[in-house]
Amino acid sequence: MKIAILSESPADEAALHVLVEYVLGGPFTPVQSSLRARGWPSVEQVLPPVVRHLHFNTDADGLVVVVDSDDSVVHTPEHEAPGYHHGLCRVCRLRGAFRRTVKNLPPAHGRERVLRAVGICVPALEAWLLCGRDTSVNEQAWLDGQVKGRPPYTRRELKWRVYGTERPSLQHELKRAVQEVSRHRGDVRRLENDFPNGFGALARDLRSWREKTDGPVR
Amino acid sequence: MIAAVQFRNFKALRSTGVKLAPFNLVLGPNGSGKTSVIQALLRLRTLAALPASAEPPPDTGGPRIDFAFAAPYQEIGVSLGCSADEMVCNVLTVNRPPGAAGEALWEELRARLRTIRAYLFDHYAMAAPGKTEERYELVSNGGNLAAVLLHWRDHQPAAFAALQAEFVRQMPEFGGLDLRDGAAGTVELGGRLKVNGHEFIAAENLSQGTLYLLAMLVLVFSPAPPAVVCLEEADRGMHPRTLREVRDALYRLSYPRDAGMERAPVQVIATTHSPYLLDQFREHPEEVILASKQGPAATLERLSDRADIMELMKETHLGDLWYTGILGGVPGE
Repeated sequence: MKIAILSESPADEAALHVLVEYVLGGPFTPVQSSLRARGWPSVEQVLPPVVRHLHFNTDADGLVVVVDSDDSVVHTPEHEAPGYHHGLCRVCRLRGAFRRTVKNLPPAHGRERVLRAVGICVPALEAWLLCGRDTSVNEQAWLDGQVKGRPPYTRRELKWRVYGTERPSLQHELKRAVQEVSRHRGDVRRLENDFPNGFGALARDLRSWREKTDGPVR
Repeated sequence: MIAAVQFRNFKALRSTGVKLAPFNLVLGPNGSGKTSVIQALLRLRTLAALPASAEPPPDTGGPRIDFAFAAPYQEIGVSLGCSADEMVCNVLTVNRPPGAAGEALWEELRARLRTIRAYLFDHYAMAAPGKTEERYELVSNGGNLAAVLLHWRDHQPAAFAALQAEFVRQMPEFGGLDLRDGAAGTVELGGRLKVNGHEFIAAENLSQGTLYLLAMLVLVFSPAPPAVVCLEEADRGMHPRTLREVRDALYRLSYPRDAGMERAPVQVIATTHSPYLLDQFREHPEEVILASKQGPAATLERLSDRADIMELMKETHLGDLWYTGILGGVPGE
């Protein structure tokens, strides 16, 4: 399968590459490996041209988009109701942007449209990286913190826990990101359990590709 | 090392001050005092090399710059003022603890102040063959880059190896650096391509950004770095996507332990006009200083001093916020 990844940093991209392989159950062929956004809201802004480009100029089967939630509204099961759209939820917004973009595109390269998989790291990729190693870090803890108005941890603290510094170099981030996601050794159940809305949404999207493509997702 | 600077009638900095962090990114429109901050530090360096004045000059309302320092020098205050018939700061007065201990502390600080360096790299100067006798320390425009690297290769091989490794990591088309004898006792710098039979690309044919990167790496990997490094236009010649590497390189100076380096931190003051470089400091607004102009007067403000900065950054890039003008630090129209 030919897949493009749009994320906020090279470290996010490296981690996602591993995780997407885990969910799909095998390696994929990266398409347009230099896609990058500057972070939210750039991802939302560049998504339509990226989708158009992939649709017409490449033979990509699917696009994986993952962003950090930061302090925004976290995607929850209520948002999955048909026709529901939460204007402050980044998953809903990205899905909406994707839907509007592909709606009127004619078929190209033998396919109707590029498939999409959207995920959100709550509140940042470092939370996913700590999954299974730091039980205090999970989506529910973050949601509870939002309700109480007192977040259980900050992005800076998460960086400390993962990198041992608030100012990791890009090389260190890349190395640690791949190290941490590789701990899951192909089994993403813990990630889906601890991050059911952000990582779970991504995994469900990816698995749905099996039904939309003829044959195995490889 | 320098904790704060207070300006009075120093160029456009009529009445303003700023606290300095280990790393500082200064941005603002042309003429807003970014370079004046650096010039003030260079003036401090120059005057620190001379005997301090016993008494401050009479206050005529002329330029005055006051410096405060971080531990262990927090009890020392230094002022630069001007004598009655001058309009440039040419008198340094020191307020230090009394006695031999105070004197020793000032001498220690003074030695460090004399190492303050400022750089505005010039790729034409860096591309020219270097005179081998100018080899010990990078000059302010980077003009002796080749000679410094030659000296490192021959006398500081660990530093040269670390620099070269970082260079080829960031510029993977190169397999290494080459230094060749040039005419009349000069040395020529170039890069060796990884392919094409390890073809030698002379410095004059290297891109501007490649030369700027090399000069920055000389600062980062210097075995004996100065106490303070000021770098003008830190983003110069760099692709926006490589600005994260620029930030990382400069952080290695200010936070060497985070990079696994065992040496004293170097205080960095870098200027930029790049919103993309500013974006790299989203999580550290305390490291950003905005210089703003109101008429002929300029003021300095640390971004983290704005109470609403975290709220403002929620839905927008820091660089875009700056560009809009709501943070200040933009040209007047």
